[in-house]
Amino acid sequence: MMKTSLISTVALVLCVASATAWAASGTVLRNDKLYSQPSASARVTASVPKGASVEILARQGGWLRVKAGNSTGWIRLLSVRAGAGGLGGVGVGDVVGAATTRSDPTRVVAVAGLRGLNEEDLKQAQFNADELARLDALKVTAAQARSFAGQSGLVAVRVPALPKPKPEQSSSPWENN
Amino acid sequence: MKIKLMLLAVTLVSFSGGAAAFDLGKFLEDRVKQELNKDKPAQPEPSQTTKQAPAASQSAAASPPPAGQKVDAAQLGFALFGDYSLEEENRIGSQISGNLLGAVQLVRDDELQNYVNLVGHWVALQSGRQDVTWRFGVLDTEDINAFAAPGGYIFVTRGLYRLLDNEADLAGVLGHEIAHVTQKHHLKVLKQSSLIGALGQAASRKARGSDPVVQNLIGNGAEIMARGLDKNAEYEADRVGMVYAARAGYTPWGLPGVLQNMAGLPARDSRTGLLYKTHPHPADRLAALGEAVDGRLDDVRGKEVADRFYRIR
Repeated sequence: MMKTSLISTVALVLCVASATAWAASGTVLRNDKLYSQPSASARVTASVPKGASVEILARQGGWLRVKAGNSTGWIRLLSVRAGAGGLGGVGVGDVVGAATTRSDPTRVVAVAGLRGLNEEDLKQAQFNADELARLDALKVTAAQARSFAGQSGLVAVRVPALPKPKPEQSSSPWENN
Repeated sequence: MKIKLMLLAVTLVSFSGGAAAFDLGKFLEDRVKQELNKDKPAQPEPSQTTKQAPAASQSAAASPPPAGQKVDAAQLGFALFGDYSLEEENRIGSQISGNLLGAVQLVRDDELQNYVNLVGHWVALQSGRQDVTWRFGVLDTEDINAFAAPGGYIFVTRGLYRLLDNEADLAGVLGHEIAHVTQKHHLKVLKQSSLIGALGQAASRKARGSDPVVQNLIGNGAEIMARGLDKNAEYEADRVGMVYAARAGYTPWGLPGVLQNMAGLPARDSRTGLLYKTHPHPADRLAALGEAVDGRLDDVRGKEVADRFYRIR
């Protein structure tokens, strides 16, 4: 059991580490365009409709290089979801019930002896003053944070807040969670 | 909203048990209505309240209910009217966090915890909220999740941390949680439910350092963390958190990248059980974020800071 989890962890780490060049399936979340370069000012090579399946080839910042049908090009990162399951949470709705139940046998495998968090744990939790004191002792000052940022050349920049989008109806089963 | 109020009133009336001179349910219903129509200076009806209840003030102190009534004035009055004070916010956050830490400990790696505090505090400095004390902790569980509590308490699980590639990813995740604090999402939920919560009398145990008044407000243990927030609060935290990370000089694409990593996990991955119970599916979050962002961040350049990213064992 331990071994299985170790292998899957390793597999996961490898998969994540190669984020710049992955070959994974994905689904287009909104009607959008493919560009010849990762830039909205580049030439448009194709249009892709919401719901189309794509193969994700690479990622660069806010762009994904994808293959959609016979076309290959760059699409906005937020216009595609990686993974199976298509649009929204469709097809994975049953995971809610399955994974939050204590008796679910698959949960035990994935956490390899370390129990995951579930609703019951949280409900039964007793105040732990020692851990809270430990957390408090770890806090840093604003001056320390600024100095730390400066070490990597991070500088505060002005970025305007994003607008709240108009309400749109999603047909996802996650709506009521 | 109206239905909610009526439900509230019904609940309250049923609890007030044949109050003769003082109709607590009616009184509270009126007060809630006042809260909702703050601009109209509503006057409590004196004929109903003079006998037993002192004049209601806008302060957090509630009028004591008649003797023998199963209502604790201290809990009932906990910021029921008006906003929570900073002190109340801190008390609530401390209680929730202490309970959460009762369910799962901090990872015993001070270097990791220090690193996360430095990144988190730097991002929080861009939020404009400096009246709270920001504290960040990595929780010792493989479950994939993150939590925020009022007063500046932010938690990320080890399982979620493993999905991160660089410091910008961490900044994005922490930005989302910081946004819950700055937008006071949990306080809004508590305020909506505080009437019922106060009357519900959660089973409170005498753990050292525990605050019984706040405990009654938040229910059992840290169950407020399992109940989650409205999905629109999550979408808002995504939008706001992404911008906080960008303002801190990181690439804005950290949070969306982490959401992509989550979306790519197998549907039945048990580590995401609680996460998907309390959050919209990452695919829906990506889609919502896509509507809000569109081309607006095309010109924002930021750093990934992959070189000093702290990798956990």
